[in-house]
Amino acid sequence: MSLSRKQYWIACLFLLPALAIFGLFFYFPFLQSIYYSFTEWNGIKAPRFIGFDNYRYLFQDAQMLDGMKNTLKMVVFGLIVQNPLALLLALLLNRKFRTRGFLRTSFYLPVIISLVVTSIVWGELLKYDGFINGLLEPIIGEAHVQDWLGTVSTSFPTIMLLTQWQGIGYCALIYLAGLQSIPTDVYEAADIEGAKGFALFRHVTFPMLMSSVTIVLFLTIVGALRLFDLPFLLTNGGPGSSSYTLFLAVYNSAFKNQSYGYATAGGIVLALFIIAVTVVQLGITRKREVEL
Amino acid sequence: MGLNKRPSLALEALLILAALAFLFPIFFLLEMSFKEPRYFFKPYELPHSFYFDYYRKAVQDMDFFTGLTNSVLVTVGALGFAIIVASMSGYVLSRRQERLFRYAYLFFLSGMVIPTVGSLIPLFTLAVKIHLMNTRTLLVLIYTAGFIPFASFLYAAFTKSIPRELEESASLDGCGPFRLFWRIIFPLLLPATGTFIITNVYGIWNDFLTPLIFLNQPEKMTLMPQIVQFMFNKQSVNYGPVFAVSVLAVLPLVVLFAFTQKYMLKGLTAGAVKG
Repeated sequence: MSLSRKQYWIACLFLLPALAIFGLFFYFPFLQSIYYSFTEWNGIKAPRFIGFDNYRYLFQDAQMLDGMKNTLKMVVFGLIVQNPLALLLALLLNRKFRTRGFLRTSFYLPVIISLVVTSIVWGELLKYDGFINGLLEPIIGEAHVQDWLGTVSTSFPTIMLLTQWQGIGYCALIYLAGLQSIPTDVYEAADIEGAKGFALFRHVTFPMLMSSVTIVLFLTIVGALRLFDLPFLLTNGGPGSSSYTLFLAVYNSAFKNQSYGYATAGGIVLALFIIAVTVVQLGITRKREVEL
Repeated sequence: MGLNKRPSLALEALLILAALAFLFPIFFLLEMSFKEPRYFFKPYELPHSFYFDYYRKAVQDMDFFTGLTNSVLVTVGALGFAIIVASMSGYVLSRRQERLFRYAYLFFLSGMVIPTVGSLIPLFTLAVKIHLMNTRTLLVLIYTAGFIPFASFLYAAFTKSIPRELEESASLDGCGPFRLFWRIIFPLLLPATGTFIITNVYGIWNDFLTPLIFLNQPEKMTLMPQIVQFMFNKQSVNYGPVFAVSVLAVLPLVVLFAFTQKYMLKGLTAGAVKG
């Protein structure tokens, strides 16, 4: 065997373990789930092929429908609230504050706290007679104080706000990393040209930051579509189905109701959402990226 | 944006206020874990002394150290295994241009957008079939599989900065390909390994869904699902022990964060520039 041939096979050996584990424990179950989504299956009896029935039923099921609505709300909220706030925070944290180290740590520390602990703490803070309502009462009046997580109209908006405790700091750090990788001579050149304030941001900083924008938008959208832990632990989708997310609806139909075929169909719809949004979003932002 | 000018004090004060608001829930977590039962339901009352009873109860009733051991085993196992297989695959993905490697790249890339929720059920049946159900090994394998795309790309990006001449001269000296990789290349990829660990350790440690589904014996359970079950099983309305155990579960990550914080931003910057 020639040397280059041998090297090729050795390279294949290097690739093999990763390929095998990824294939067996990630890709293979995903492909199987496509098949199962067309069957009626409870895990005990053999799956029975039923065509598109699962998919049809998805759009008549209150939990799934509320789940989809809420999931889309979270995506929009992530894009128009979380993302600009994170960028603003990153721009601020990049400036020469005396307490810069403290500020960066404080905004980032919540990110490492697990969602289990987050929901324990915030569940306690948001109780009807808890800390937050005690603060709010003199401001909004006793009549408007309520159990924010236990009321149909406020349960999901409250959860969306809670995601920001960690979401903003996380995205801000990625923006901050992007800001620091912009070479200083770009700013020196801009300074000579007389660019200042918003014009500087609009024409220099922002275009140079586009690859971070791509990453943050991707993470925001995918994170929003995967929202599960907080509603599962804080409200379990309730009251009614007001705080269901698509992920939670899929989880409950699989592990509570044992409708495996139906649940995988929900999973496929979620996958299609994520893939479609990613492709569109990458198509838009990638074009604007500036090569450094 | 005015990089050289010092920003105003008013702005700084405003940001400090916001930062304190962000820190408050963490302070609250700590405070509630020490708050005597007498004051527990008074949200504006601070603990009057360091009351350690919740900690004692938590460690006894929940079997905290079993959970801690399991969490450490699973976290270290998954990160370690992912580092081994992904460094090897990332290295060849960056060095070889043949069709197989380009397809493998796309194969991994597609894995980054596929959500795992639908796959949980087939994974469940697969685990039963290969007799790995209810084992920590299964968790390690599932996490590793999920990490492989990201970690491979990270290693591929860092491999680009290692000169090929190094490998050529080493193999002229009679160094075999595996020894060459582990003795020479892998140590040079240390920044990639560091970046991978500090950006992913939190995700495994904090995950509660995967162990909740795939483990069902208390002696194998990791910390997060253990806390959730502890909370749901609690008869009393006093959540003091739940807060205490939450503090203990968060503590290792806070310590790690304190030591790695400055590398975190650097790691992300490196990833952004090289990626």
